Amino acid sequence: MRGLIGAISALAFLAGSAASAETLKLVEVITSPERTEVLQEQVDAFEAANPGTEVEIVSLPWGQAFEKLATMVAGGDIPDVVEMPDRWAGIYKDKLVDLNDKIAGWDHGGTLTQKTLDMGRQTDGKTARMIPYGFYLRAMFYNKKLLEEAGVASPPGTMAEFMEAAKAVSALDGKYGYCLRGGPGGLNGWIMMAATMNGDNTFFDEDGKSTLNQPGSVEGIQFLIDMYQNGYAPKDSVSWGFNEIVAGFYSGTCAFLDQDPDALIAVAERMEAEDFAVVPMPVGPAGKAFPTIGFAGWAMFDTTSNEDLSWKLIAHLSSPEANKEWAKRVGVIPIHEGAEQDPYFKTEQFKGWFDTLNGEQYVPTVMPTYLEQFGYFADSIALESSQEALLGEITAQEVADKWAEFLTEEYARWKAAQ
Amino acid sequence: MTAIDTAVPGRKPRARPTFYFRYMVEPYLYLTPAILLIALVMLVPLVIGVSYAFQAVNLLRPFQSGWVGFANFEALWTDRKFWLALTNTFWWTLGSIFFQFFLGLGLAMLLNTQFHGKRIVQALVFLPWAVPTFLSALTWAWLFNPTIGPLPHWLAALGILSEPFNILGDPDLAMWGPITANVWFGIPFFAITLLAALQSIPHELYEAAEIDGATPWQTFTKITLPFLAPMIAITVMLRTIWIANFADLIFVMTGGGPANSTQILSTYIFTTAFRKLDFGYASAIAVALLGLLLIYAAILLVLRRKLVKI
Repeated sequence: MRGLIGAISALAFLAGSAASAETLKLVEVITSPERTEVLQEQVDAFEAANPGTEVEIVSLPWGQAFEKLATMVAGGDIPDVVEMPDRWAGIYKDKLVDLNDKIAGWDHGGTLTQKTLDMGRQTDGKTARMIPYGFYLRAMFYNKKLLEEAGVASPPGTMAEFMEAAKAVSALDGKYGYCLRGGPGGLNGWIMMAATMNGDNTFFDEDGKSTLNQPGSVEGIQFLIDMYQNGYAPKDSVSWGFNEIVAGFYSGTCAFLDQDPDALIAVAERMEAEDFAVVPMPVGPAGKAFPTIGFAGWAMFDTTSNEDLSWKLIAHLSSPEANKEWAKRVGVIPIHEGAEQDPYFKTEQFKGWFDTLNGEQYVPTVMPTYLEQFGYFADSIALESSQEALLGEITAQEVADKWAEFLTEEYARWKAAQ
Repeated sequence: MTAIDTAVPGRKPRARPTFYFRYMVEPYLYLTPAILLIALVMLVPLVIGVSYAFQAVNLLRPFQSGWVGFANFEALWTDRKFWLALTNTFWWTLGSIFFQFFLGLGLAMLLNTQFHGKRIVQALVFLPWAVPTFLSALTWAWLFNPTIGPLPHWLAALGILSEPFNILGDPDLAMWGPITANVWFGIPFFAITLLAALQSIPHELYEAAEIDGATPWQTFTKITLPFLAPMIAITVMLRTIWIANFADLIFVMTGGGPANSTQILSTYIFTTAFRKLDFGYASAIAVALLGLLLIYAAILLVLRRKLVKI
């Protein structure tokens, strides 16, 4: 073994000295041990395929990634390739290389789904700032046993059925209907409900005004407030974040959980596969549902010392095989066509997401992450005011007006900059 | 070398530094390195930080920066969240310091007696101080979670809570979560410092008091407390400033929520600076907090001089 490693490193050294060793810096920002492991494996394969290339992986913990990356970039310590979450693309867009030409000339460029290309060009609709590596799409997990106990025959398909089912489960002792996410990251739920009740997911009308305080949207916000205030969600769910809602679901405290595929990993570890399933989000009065879609991808900073090599790395990470492996272990919906035929994705659980992707009535909603202050809106303004609304300190209309005002102003600023 | 009065014949006397130079300038020359160092690492950042409070410094709007006078402070005055955070800072600091101090004092008095295995107990008692705050905050957050942690169930069994729910999710009770964690974390500091002060009280005083027939309470109020007072004043002042600025526990446990019920000034500063990326406004809040703490420290130092007669 040691001999083999020695031989390889000697080879690498020879090849390296021949083609002068290149070092690429790759920054991952949504870090977890599992992710880093997968990434390291794929990067190792890349290094083996490209002798003389070294890839240095810098892993930033997600909680501090925003400040850390901003500091790195501001300080001139700019990575070549970076994992770019959708909501930061707007901030860094002018520093990222346009990948359109490179995708056009790529062997696997043809099998990228249209959605992938659209999302990669999301900042202005034309420039491909990144290649997404997968999607986080909302769908509804439900606990089969709890529903059976509560006498609910089938998982809810509409919002009204959803409320009824939540009520029925809450009648059980110590059980609740909905794992409400009132804490960090809860904005998606609010936006989804507002759009579903409003029957439309455009964020801004032609005058650039936010649609969030239209009567339908306010009804959607009221829907979640009712859910909480009627006791169909646990009392402390007002501050629940990702870990808490997932724990609430797998411990059987609450029966419904709207989540992205990455939650499936944690849930599947602790629940029998036959005890839960995933269905698309319930539809509203207009017969439509608007599950949010989120993504992150690989992007290249324009300061990179070797654009071709950086692209090679991105292409390697985005190839169908590597991406499928990544999607399985990280918990995202893969980016290449035909992935749903893979036995891993042909389950009762993944059916919820592929049904959502293929169903006419399900319209994926992209959060307006291109707005400069969207992160602040989601993590501070929306978080605080939605909690105030859940606790009855302000009304649904007041929350909606507050959000609409902020978003309208931000949108005007964004438009002016285009 | 200094005896230059007696000039050696055949050798010219050395030029004498003038009186002015020797007594007014020279000492400062020797101090210069230290003063420069202090100015460089303390004053310069402080001045720059304070100057941000009078500027528009928003990372998202780099072209709209510049001096704005007191605009940030005017915005502060009408900012509902600022006053809310200020009130919360008050209760957070008061609640934490009250329990930390009295429990710490009690612990110090217990440790000041002789018993078997004292060294081990002493080491164990100081352990919370050594645990990284982020770790203790995470641990406490999960202890308060009824799905995983035991605390809500114990509280419910004791009749304090009507049912086992997470107090961190209740706006009226949420502040007690971080306060509990902070008390656990901060007791050792008071215990260490007060124990050191206790051990320095001359033992003869207690003997004399015993001979005169003083009750334990009299001994405590007439001997122990007066001797401890200087240390108490200093530690309480330090800890108050420290706790008022201490955002880690709250940030990890509640993030300022639910509905801002645990938002204190330092977490508000952090959110404003690093979420809103508005360093100017964040700096204005920080300057307000700095001013309040300076006033507090001044009052406490005056009180200390008045009350302590040693």
